[in-house]
Amino acid sequence: MRLSPVLASLASVFRIPLRPTQSLGQPLPRSFSSTPSMAKKQAAPKDKKITMIRYFLWHPLTPRPLRFSRNRYLRHWTIHRAWQLYTSQQRRKGELELQRQWQAMSAACEELRTGAGDGGRLFRLSMNKKGVFRDMFPIEYGRLQTETPSKEGWNHAWKRIE
Amino acid sequence: MATHEPSRYLARALPRAFAPSVRPQSSCWRRNASSQASSGQSSDPFSELEAGSSLGATVPEDVVKSFDPVKKARSRKVQLPRSRYQFRSPKYDRGPLHPHRPPPPSNPASRLFVPGPFSLPRVEQTWKTTIASDIMTLCYVHNPPGFIPPTKAPRLREWDDSSPYHRNRQLRGPRGGDVLRLLRKPITFNNIPEIERITIHSYVKQAAQESSAWLHVSGMAVQAISNARVETFKSKASVASWSLVPGKNTVAVKAELYGENMLHFMGKLIDVVLPRIKDWQGVKGTSGDSSGNITFGLEPEHVALFPEIEVNYDMYPPKMIPGCHITIHTSARTDKDARLLLSALGMPFHGKLVD
Repeated sequence: MRLSPVLASLASVFRIPLRPTQSLGQPLPRSFSSTPSMAKKQAAPKDKKITMIRYFLWHPLTPRPLRFSRNRYLRHWTIHRAWQLYTSQQRRKGELELQRQWQAMSAACEELRTGAGDGGRLFRLSMNKKGVFRDMFPIEYGRLQTETPSKEGWNHAWKRIE
Repeated sequence: MATHEPSRYLARALPRAFAPSVRPQSSCWRRNASSQASSGQSSDPFSELEAGSSLGATVPEDVVKSFDPVKKARSRKVQLPRSRYQFRSPKYDRGPLHPHRPPPPSNPASRLFVPGPFSLPRVEQTWKTTIASDIMTLCYVHNPPGFIPPTKAPRLREWDDSSPYHRNRQLRGPRGGDVLRLLRKPITFNNIPEIERITIHSYVKQAAQESSAWLHVSGMAVQAISNARVETFKSKASVASWSLVPGKNTVAVKAELYGENMLHFMGKLIDVVLPRIKDWQGVKGTSGDSSGNITFGLEPEHVALFPEIEVNYDMYPPKMIPGCHITIHTSARTDKDARLLLSALGMPFHGKLVD
């Protein structure tokens, strides 16, 4: 059985014991059982891809825990704690920002309800939730952010070439 | 590790061309197009280093005079452990009464400690900067100050005392079925729906019929696309035509994704895999378990579109690449909120929407 170049290079890099497969041309070793089904089963060639997948699937890759001396462990721990502190501050900042936005919305809606002078018509219109859960977000909105698109995002000056 | 052990089978088993060569692999240098050519740079290898050094900083004289590490160490009441001492976490947690318990997994000394996250996934970045505030704004319902919501009927109903046997009986379930649905609270700044975890599940019926290779290949494929270890499950059902016996055949693999794994998987799914599926209309609107978890399935040819499988497609036997079911568990309590979140992330829904 021929291996593809990728498989062959992987096999040579990882040094996998690939057992030689029984080729169909060779005579099978005689067994005590003369049942044809047994002979048929033995003749089935093994797929080397599957052999390698089994090898990697049961390969233990669990690393041992970190072992450091006192000072090095202290350095590690200090950096770890500092990073945890930084991320928790970022998280807290995000939560406070959302809370600030919510309170600003609440104040604006209250102003719209009582102080707009139209008897609350605009407020009632703004509270209309029709289609929010039916139409959901447009598919153009649902786009994960990337670093590559430009700040403009759209070339308004573009004209079709005549 | 076993990868470093020399193999005595290998030299015999492999053809001559594939045997490991004597020449080390590392001697072949390669330059990517993105990296600079070495011809101009080799003249000054230290140009990237900073000019200033922190070693040149001066220390005040009194600090130098008062520095006496031996005296400081003697004055300690409790001596530190020696410098080479290494704390080793106990392997098993023997309960709260045990004197020696492992530290929490957030501690770097723990055996379960996982460093990271080392990246900012695009899903997380998008959720934090735009999606959270947009969902909060869309779902905002204004209640004037002093507003008291009208009381609803209790979800568990009382029995009418028409019979003396109703005394001390348990309350009745809600109308139309005995299932108590989750309560939906109005969405405010502290309960905006987000993705909690993703489950990838693959049921391989050929694992019972033909050989375990089907299960192994599907487990490997699911591990490759998810970056998480899979669990295997035995069959619960008895299907005679598939020669399934309950509790005997191992037929399913499942991977649970949390945190960074989950977010990267979601990003790959939305940006790479789903747009390339031919004639895919979207997730069915009837999907969901009515408590905020959305499930959909991928066919084997769609699983093969994941970049991890696509780059070494010939590692897998092509007919054995599995299909899978992907469940997205969100912190939303109803399906409509979960669907709103997923549509903001770019997942289309089609058909009739059922809440």
